Amino acid sequence: MSQFQKEIVQAVLIADNNVWNFKPLSDEGSTALLPLVNVSMLDYALIALNRSGVEEVFVYASLYLQDIRQHIKQGIATFASWSFKMTVHVIGGEGCRCFGDAMRDLDAKALIRGNFILLGADTVTNADLRPVLEQHKRTAKFDKGAAATLIFKEASSSCGRTGNELLIAMDKQSSRLHYHQRLRMHHKEGRYQLPLDIFLSNACVTLHHNLLDPQIAIGSPSMLSLFSDNFDFQTRDDFVRGLLINEELLDSRIYVSLLPPAQYAHKVNNWLSYQLVSRDIISRWAYPLVPDMGVYKLQQQYVFYKDNIYKSHSANVSKVALQENVVVQAGSHVACGTTISCSVIGANCRIGKNCQLNNVFLMANVTIEDNCQLRHCVIGPDAVIHERCVIEAGCVLGPKCVLPANTKLANTLVTSSPNTQRSEENETVELDAIGPKAYIVSDVTTGDPDDSDDDEQLLPSTTTLSIPKMCEIQAVANDASDYSYSSDDDDEESRVATPLPDDTNIFLSEVIDSLTRGFREKSKPEFLILEINSSRYAYNMSLKEVNFNVVKAVFGMESIIEPANNNVLVAINAAFKQLGPVVSNYIKSEDAMIDCLKALEDICEENELVREKISQVVHYLYDKDFVSEDAIHAWYEQLDPTEQPTLRQSLAKLVEWLNQSSEEDDDDDDDDDDDDE
Amino acid sequence: MTSCEFQAVVLAAGRGTRLPEVLGDAPKCLLPVGPFPLIWYPLNMLSRHNFTEVIVVVLEQHKVDVQQALERTSLKVKIEYATIPNDSDFGTADSLRYIYDKIKSDFLVVSCDIVSNVSLYPLINKFRADDAALALLLFKSGFESDVVIPGPKSKHKPERDMIGIHPSTQRLAFVFAASDCEETLNLQRYLLKNRGQLDVYGRLTDGHVYVLKKWVIDYLHRKENISTFKGEFLPHIIKKQHYRRTPKSMPDTTSDLNVATKQDDNILHYAPHTLMDQKVTQASLFNQSLSHVPYHGDIIRCFAVQAPPDSIGVRVNNTLSFLAINRKLATIWTDLCDDAHPLIAPGAVVKSTQTKDIIVADNAKLSEKTSLNSSVFGSNSIVNPKNIVTNSIIMSNAIVEEGCNINNCIIGHRAHVKSGSVLTNCLIGPNYVVEEQTKSQSLHLSNDDQYMEIDIQ
Repeated sequence: MSQFQKEIVQAVLIADNNVWNFKPLSDEGSTALLPLVNVSMLDYALIALNRSGVEEVFVYASLYLQDIRQHIKQGIATFASWSFKMTVHVIGGEGCRCFGDAMRDLDAKALIRGNFILLGADTVTNADLRPVLEQHKRTAKFDKGAAATLIFKEASSSCGRTGNELLIAMDKQSSRLHYHQRLRMHHKEGRYQLPLDIFLSNACVTLHHNLLDPQIAIGSPSMLSLFSDNFDFQTRDDFVRGLLINEELLDSRIYVSLLPPAQYAHKVNNWLSYQLVSRDIISRWAYPLVPDMGVYKLQQQYVFYKDNIYKSHSANVSKVALQENVVVQAGSHVACGTTISCSVIGANCRIGKNCQLNNVFLMANVTIEDNCQLRHCVIGPDAVIHERCVIEAGCVLGPKCVLPANTKLANTLVTSSPNTQRSEENETVELDAIGPKAYIVSDVTTGDPDDSDDDEQLLPSTTTLSIPKMCEIQAVANDASDYSYSSDDDDEESRVATPLPDDTNIFLSEVIDSLTRGFREKSKPEFLILEINSSRYAYNMSLKEVNFNVVKAVFGMESIIEPANNNVLVAINAAFKQLGPVVSNYIKSEDAMIDCLKALEDICEENELVREKISQVVHYLYDKDFVSEDAIHAWYEQLDPTEQPTLRQSLAKLVEWLNQSSEEDDDDDDDDDDDDE
Repeated sequence: MTSCEFQAVVLAAGRGTRLPEVLGDAPKCLLPVGPFPLIWYPLNMLSRHNFTEVIVVVLEQHKVDVQQALERTSLKVKIEYATIPNDSDFGTADSLRYIYDKIKSDFLVVSCDIVSNVSLYPLINKFRADDAALALLLFKSGFESDVVIPGPKSKHKPERDMIGIHPSTQRLAFVFAASDCEETLNLQRYLLKNRGQLDVYGRLTDGHVYVLKKWVIDYLHRKENISTFKGEFLPHIIKKQHYRRTPKSMPDTTSDLNVATKQDDNILHYAPHTLMDQKVTQASLFNQSLSHVPYHGDIIRCFAVQAPPDSIGVRVNNTLSFLAINRKLATIWTDLCDDAHPLIAPGAVVKSTQTKDIIVADNAKLSEKTSLNSSVFGSNSIVNPKNIVTNSIIMSNAIVEEGCNINNCIIGHRAHVKSGSVLTNCLIGPNYVVEEQTKSQSLHLSNDDQYMEIDIQ
């Protein structure tokens, strides 16, 4: 008996992730059951495991445990291709709120007996994981502290980002992971900062920049207990980060394995990657996970024509222009004159005449009436789109939505009922209606959903994140900005191999941090002044530099750099209302005022919005008594007309106005003097 | 001078600031390494690669010494000496700039302190194959890791270079000293983007063997503010690999004088890239990348070639490596020089019967009843009977009297160790006299303490 237990290959599948990214379709069902080219994502993951020789799978579900259990039961009943030689258990429950909870629960239940494969239900891969598992076992024999092997896939460098890209540093010889950084989706990092220690303590470290994380890993039994010991590990990234920081303390190490180029692996964690992976499946990169191979049911569902067109026998698509990469499920009917390309049509859909569909993903029972144009969108099951609707890139329609005729949509999420939004906030959000069964869902969230309870309205949403949406996928051209060395003036810069962050910059960034936090938390100005002063002494800044940098920091806050609705004046007003006492604490003397204005000069160069409104900004500062008239004059005089013509121009009016008003004052003074004499 | 593909330059004007205690007043390039002065090794390496003419850059005051020392050896290369003024504080790049007009073709720059048996052909071929601007040679470090430095105990911190290489192409991404960065390594995005992988080495030593294009010295000649080659020019040119000709700067050449000089500063002005070159690149089937233009369209290309792991490569630029190479020289001699040169000079008198791995220079007298192990004896040195010498260097004209036990020491030129002394891990400076029955450990004994200069560079 014991040797049987040893032989068994186990896997853990985490379902129900990315709930937020798949709104509104994730509101009513598990994301793991979302159809991807007409097969639910969970099935892809299960097939991948089956192909890798896994014999026992634990599917971990939380919110929609029953749905998933039902799906698995049904799959076994209909002889789904993964149901052979593999037992599937569904465990979990509502109490399991994150990846870490699932791991801790697994540890408590002691279901895992050895090394196991860990997969997200949203992973599509045709990789054979057996060699990787063997490699992990060998590593574990050699290094008792090997907690996990992460599996990555090299990506083509020309693709845009889907949020799964990574930068890692690994030992060239032992493949040990030393550094792990997720690349941000929208932000292009100018430079990467890696701890020097990594390179000093290892002979050769390889940096990989072009990796995709398909969320596949091989775990040692110790991985589960590490989760139990460190109850703050919530995600797999927490685990990786925690282990890398506390390598010595936890005595655990993570290894890396790269998939061979011929094997496909990708994670479907948002609509953009949904679109990408659908395209890849249809164009057969994930072979044998392609529509005509009977991926799920053991029967031929489609006939495969050239140009990657998959058509069900029972679909009625006569006199329809099916261009490349189209999948049409059974029972669908498309009327004549319609053009379809790069799209997936679910079961029993009805599409009217003269429609144009490009990169459209229809789930089951969707009805589209005549003369509609749809591009780059997802339509949930049972949705109805009436005539002449135009739906542009990035739209997602929830289940059972009904779009009235002539609706035009772009980049919006639509749900069918006003209160399906499962919000952690207590109050239900009022949704904009575009029809009796269509409401627009806001996909914008402020940076951290946890700490944005009451001051959300007051905060001009500082860090807006939105769900990555579908769009035209184009190869990212080698933009010239990658080569920042095309100017002639880089000589000074290039003299130093790595420019050290100088104290002034550190000081500035610290002040920005303090002010941003103070602004958000409405802390007392005295505390902020104290903080700034302590930074000042830490970096040995002169008073002049402090004055200069405090003003710079106020304008360097994110709310002013990226103001809501591009209305920079409102943002400045809000900032100074809160932080005014801090600024006036520093800007007291005439000299300080000139420093302040000089800082503005600097800011103008960096911030276009401020540059456009510079005279209003200066006027505002004058009104609020931050700067005096004399200071403005003095500053204006020393502005070089040849170097800053625009700045001078925009200020000219203001100065003139000041002159006029001051002349009046002067006259008054003179009069007074005369009187005295 | 006949035209040839490569000229060779050996830089030997270094003052040896990192080994003042063994140097005395002798030039660094004449440090004894086994039977030959240090500079013989790079010259011999060049001669093995069929270089017939070499330019040697020396300080004016040392020229005669170097000339005499080299005439005593059997080198087959013709040496042209280029002297730089004694009082100048020239860096390596300054030296190269100084001999600018002697360079007529692509050239090799070799430091005088490299002792190696590596073949330079892979390096030169890489340079040729990829039409590189620069190619350099990297060695595995750690040759001296098992040697204890004599003298007072000090924390020896090896200077480390961080070297980034793209593994698929061997392109250099960056080279800089680890001490230049604080706690983080800053990498520009373009170093990683589109290139995927980057290997970062922390334990390789730059062999100071560079192959360079002719235009590089033209450019260096112009850049007068750069004074050292390794520290300043190398990072500079590596960075310039990503430098693009800005489209709008092209018509500027005809505009006013001010802009014209700016054009002269532009490195691409020097790098020859004719229309023909462009066409050749376009027409060529050669491309290392599937998705990009060859070399990513870079005109300036720098490459690094790693010496095979079993080869020997040491830079003798500090006391530790000086001791290490001398101690280990006997064991690696056949690998290094193919037995062509005897380790015990014909003029030496060795009467001792208990010797192992020793190197003896001309006119040295090693008496009977001595036990000598892994040591080097300079010319005219005298070791009297009843001595034990292990792992040590006895420099020229030094005298060791009877009954001494010397272990892991460097005995300087003309030093005198009187009878009965027991020295372990000691540095004996030039001309120093060790009194009778001295028992010392880990000391630096020298006469010129008061003249010790602290060189901050």
